[in-house]
Amino acid sequence: MTASFALSTQRALAHRANLAAEILLTATSVAAGLATLGIVYDHTAALAGWPPAEATVLLGAFFVVSGLLRAFVEPNLSFFAGKVRDGQFDDLLLLPAPSWFLASLGTCEPLALAESLLGAGTIAAGLARLPRGPSLGGVLAGGALLLAGLAIAWAARVLLASLAFWAPGIEPSVLYGSLWQLGRYPIGIYSPLLRRLLTSLVPVAFITTVPARALTRGADPRTLATALAFALGAVALTRLVWAAGLRRYTSATS
Amino acid sequence: MRRAIRLVRVYVERFLLSWLAGWSFVVTLVAEQVVAPLIGLAVWTAALPGQHLAPYYVALVVVQLATASYENHTLSNRIYGGELSDDLLRPHPVVFEPLGQNLALRLWHVAVGVPLVVGVAPLAGASFTPADVALAAPALVLAAALRFLYTFTLALAAFWTERAHGIVGFGGTLVFLLGGDAAPVRLLPGPLRPLGEALPFRAMHAFPAEIAAGGLTHSEVLLGYGWQAVWLALFALLAATVWQAGLRRYTAVGA
Repeated sequence: MTASFALSTQRALAHRANLAAEILLTATSVAAGLATLGIVYDHTAALAGWPPAEATVLLGAFFVVSGLLRAFVEPNLSFFAGKVRDGQFDDLLLLPAPSWFLASLGTCEPLALAESLLGAGTIAAGLARLPRGPSLGGVLAGGALLLAGLAIAWAARVLLASLAFWAPGIEPSVLYGSLWQLGRYPIGIYSPLLRRLLTSLVPVAFITTVPARALTRGADPRTLATALAFALGAVALTRLVWAAGLRRYTSATS
Repeated sequence: MRRAIRLVRVYVERFLLSWLAGWSFVVTLVAEQVVAPLIGLAVWTAALPGQHLAPYYVALVVVQLATASYENHTLSNRIYGGELSDDLLRPHPVVFEPLGQNLALRLWHVAVGVPLVVGVAPLAGASFTPADVALAAPALVLAAALRFLYTFTLALAAFWTERAHGIVGFGGTLVFLLGGDAAPVRLLPGPLRPLGEALPFRAMHAFPAEIAAGGLTHSEVLLGYGWQAVWLALFALLAATVWQAGLRRYTAVGA
């Protein structure tokens, strides 16, 4: 994975115009997100109980995870069903590495990390505006929860992609991208039913709201333990479903 | 006999899944289009619980479905792949095919999405008068035309750069921010509001929804229609100019 990242980075940096364009487009997207928050807080002091500084940290967490997914996961799993249908997946099965790893993390687009860097900056800016700085425990818990959120996001993406083994015509990439946007804001803004769905079935809350809450309000050991257990469970489920899908799979080519 | 039943079952499964594939892709495209306005509704309902913004955002969902544009996929990819060369040989303007694809996709979006919206609108507390809907209909048609020209022009960046998808995405971000998704234009901060009303993004997105929701005076509606006409003429000219410039750069791919 390190070699793949180094190679992809070299290739990306060779095209400076592309690098400049990617940074500009990413910066615009981040700025639009922050501008939207600014417009909202022009009209209210708190959004579902989240003051501006905390909501900024949450948005930063969203960008950090988004950037990492766009850099390492989406280049591999975007329109995965098409790769299964046309036989590109067969090549992966012949390589001497786990297929779930190669299929989900085999290649990368390093330029997308610009979003994660800007997200980290956004988190720092939000934390700086808090009345009280974050505690060490909160920072450590927030970091651990972000990693857990990333694992959950990866697992959810792979699980959706695994549908291709049972229904190769169904392409969930667009749906995943849409549902992911729900994590930009505190889940408290959604209806109670949607909040339950976003905590259990489509765990966007664990990916952004929970880490941001730990960073801004301090660590809650029960939430930390639940999130870590959820992450481990999600990864284990993904491996099981992937293996089951592979058992069904017969080559797309003769 | 058992073998025959198993074989028939395999064929049933295969064709069920292949028909499901087509429908599911349309459903995911519709979901992608409605997410931004629905998130906007959730945000502003939480931020301003006293303001009844449901009619505006429900109408905005319909506008989003009727103005969805994917020219970065239908046109830019043909430029990158060299298939544009075949299109240039046809005895009609090249724009006819992406326009036809655009209209077909929008019909699918509306056919799948609008019944859901009509069903959900009463639950959101959104209701509309026939007069407002009738007044909004021409604005929707103009917005749809403007959105097509806007996205088509941005997609022509494929003649100059490999980043056409990113550029169209940037254009989408501007529509999101200044076109009424992030916030209704009337809620933009003081200095931004007149700018938001004059720029093309409201004309191609929020304006029909504002009329349908019943929030505008007659003079505001007339002014909005005026802006739509102005931007439509400007973007038609811009699209033609950029097309001609791009075509001069274009060289075919392959033998």
